Amino acid sequence: MIAEYGQLALTFALALSFLLAAVPLYGSFSGNQRALLQAKPLAIGLFIFCLLAKLALVHAFLNSDFTVINVATNSSSILPWYYQITASFGSHEGSMLLWILMLAGWTALVAIFSKGLPLLMQGRILGVLGLINIGFIAFSLFMSNPFARSLPFYPVEGMDLNPLLQDFGMIIHPPLLYMGYVGFAVSFAFAIAALIGGKFDSTWARWARPWTLAAWLFLTLGIMFGSWWAYHELGWGGWWFWDPVENASFLPWLVGTALLHSLAVTEKRGTFKSWTVLLALSAFSLSLVGAFLVRSGVLVSVHSFAADPDRGIFLLVFLLLVIGSSLALYASRMNSVRSQARYQLFSREVMLWGNNVFLLTATLVVFLGTLFPLFHKELGLGTISIGEPFFNQMFYYLTIPFALLLGLGPWVRWKQQPVKPLLGPLSLIAIASLVLALGTLSAMQSVQANLALMGLLLGAWVGVSALYELYQRMSQFGSVSKGAFKLHASHYGMTIAHIGFAVLVVGVAMTKTYSVELDVRMQVNDSISLAGYQFTLLEVYPLEGANYGGEAAEIAVHDKNGEFVSQLHAEKRFYTIQRTVMTESAVHARLSRDLYVSLGEALPDNAWALRLYVKPFVRWIWLGGLLMALGALVALLDKRYRRSGPAASAAKPAETANA
Amino acid sequence: MRKLMFYMPLALFLALALFLLSGLFSNPMERESVTTDKPLPAFDLPDLMNPAKRWQPQQLHGETFLLNVWGTWCPTCNAELSYMTELRQQGVKIIGLYYVLPTDPVLGERFDLAELQADVSNKLQQRGNPYQFNILDFDRSLALDLGVSGAPETFIIDSTGIVRAHHIGDINPQVWRSKLAPLYQQWRQQDGAQP
Repeated sequence: MIAEYGQLALTFALALSFLLAAVPLYGSFSGNQRALLQAKPLAIGLFIFCLLAKLALVHAFLNSDFTVINVATNSSSILPWYYQITASFGSHEGSMLLWILMLAGWTALVAIFSKGLPLLMQGRILGVLGLINIGFIAFSLFMSNPFARSLPFYPVEGMDLNPLLQDFGMIIHPPLLYMGYVGFAVSFAFAIAALIGGKFDSTWARWARPWTLAAWLFLTLGIMFGSWWAYHELGWGGWWFWDPVENASFLPWLVGTALLHSLAVTEKRGTFKSWTVLLALSAFSLSLVGAFLVRSGVLVSVHSFAADPDRGIFLLVFLLLVIGSSLALYASRMNSVRSQARYQLFSREVMLWGNNVFLLTATLVVFLGTLFPLFHKELGLGTISIGEPFFNQMFYYLTIPFALLLGLGPWVRWKQQPVKPLLGPLSLIAIASLVLALGTLSAMQSVQANLALMGLLLGAWVGVSALYELYQRMSQFGSVSKGAFKLHASHYGMTIAHIGFAVLVVGVAMTKTYSVELDVRMQVNDSISLAGYQFTLLEVYPLEGANYGGEAAEIAVHDKNGEFVSQLHAEKRFYTIQRTVMTESAVHARLSRDLYVSLGEALPDNAWALRLYVKPFVRWIWLGGLLMALGALVALLDKRYRRSGPAASAAKPAETANA
Repeated sequence: MRKLMFYMPLALFLALALFLLSGLFSNPMERESVTTDKPLPAFDLPDLMNPAKRWQPQQLHGETFLLNVWGTWCPTCNAELSYMTELRQQGVKIIGLYYVLPTDPVLGERFDLAELQADVSNKLQQRGNPYQFNILDFDRSLALDLGVSGAPETFIIDSTGIVRAHHIGDINPQVWRSKLAPLYQQWRQQDGAQP
């Protein structure tokens, strides 16, 4: 019965989303105040009903109600309860409901936190979000109902959750990622509202900034946790695979990053207007295209859900309506926009323009790399595949100028920057990064011109520049301690995020250069040394889990001097219901390196195949992602975002200069 | 001009949508072989059971046949042996290309031909022997040239030694009837026409 209530709640949510789309938008065109005022309660009601639907589905999973097809195919009665909850978004149907819950959640948040916005804007933004809600809720109800029953014939036991998904990563990765994807719907709605209103002054940019930051924050965390999860779950130490679905999440991230920077220009200088609107439309459009790619079966990927052309058609029509109409609106409104602002060649505007150029080139590379095989095939040119080397090489060439620009950008003023005053600090930073990079490599006794050197140089250039620039800004207030309090939170946010990028670059370059791996055959008490570490297989014993069996191995690790480092526990699990084998790799993590062991097949003579890795600086990759997300969080705390509309629009000139 | 520029995103998106639409109706797993309608790549490989005998492409000319890439280590290949044996009894000519798994000296493995021969004849006795003979692709060079991505895979080679079809996956009654049999018959009929 509860499942039927869930379906009923979702049906009510659909009705509410229709009302949310119709009433406030009608109000915005007719000037009807009462209609506009309905937006907020409708948005909150929509969220409540989506939440009820979600809770009903979770209830069905927790009670192992196998009459519900979704539960029977993705859960089992012996699955631990926390995975039963996560199994509720482990399938296409369930994840769609999570997506809807997130979308309704953002809609309600906009309704609650937009008191400072004019009523007309609120109505338009929430109306647009209502339209998007209609599409997804209808898709869930009519094309992929998570509550469908299999009565009267239902299984007595479920098919269990895919063992790959029985991991802590599954608990947090999809919700964070979806929060990010769907969050860009808010920036999208702000842009559409601005397009409808025909006003692109700096106000819409200021309103859209915190929402874009929040969406970007979640997307960053989602991608980062996904990478970390793949690293420890898939058992071969990779952290990014350029898989089509990873790329689908990377595309909105790249455009979202460009949008964050472009919004700054539009807000502070009133220029790049049409460009910023286009980015806001594109970020969410790419989220939608990504959802289509994952759920339609157009591309082959480990992440894909089961393909169904009907679902694909529905989503494609939805894509055409949402993206097509918004781009048509964009084209019809934008030809009247003119930017008045003037700026010199060496100015903050041009630096951020450069940022956008590189980020969009990267977007194009990922987009074409992902979809080129499809284009190629549909044009009748045969099948091809594009793999890692293409992406790696392109990103290598893109990162160098991008990082150089990133180290320079924050030093450059709006409008115009004389070159001379920057020469001193910049040469100091250049020398410092050279010393840091060479120092690190000589500490590792491996000074040579390789990827690691390039990564360290760029990372140090960006990192040192960010810190030094922060110091300089603080000093401008008289003393550093005084400046530390005067400086806006968003400035700290920027610095932290830029340092995060530096840390990420160093991590990628070092891991790619210095990682070593070894496939070995080991018997108990065998010892093998790799990169100065001594791995000893202590014992292998049978494993007994709730829904799996298998073997576990204990491996002791000692360093060069014979000091004990750690005892690693690697598992090979056999999940009994799904009949699949999973490796649970053992990782000993330090900032400077990971020791990584995965247990392979049993070999004759009581021996085991083992795979050993030593991966220097791999933690820095995720640390960089975390720092970027932290930067966004700190920037969100900036109190300027919480000032109401009219007061904030009279931005002080001093603020413009140093923000 | 400036006005048209703002229509660019819309135009690009519509073009993309067109591709996505056509992509919906084609199977992404399906791939064409790089070798279809090209002659068999050159090779000079020993016979599995009689290594003194060597095979070159020219020796295979004259009659349309199936080239089946397989190995005893591959469960799906073992599963298709019995049905292919039925096909052999119906007069289909099948030649095996034995795909040797790479050996890893670190794991104490080494290549042992006698052991392999025993293993193969054992398996063929159990399950049926569909093959006229087996070519031993000991370094997997021919499989690589043919674009083999895994076993089992089967090629249809016509009487002039040109690869006419490439099937990935096993051969079962359904696959044979719906996909491979029509192609095989078609090229078989032309055998006489082009000596």
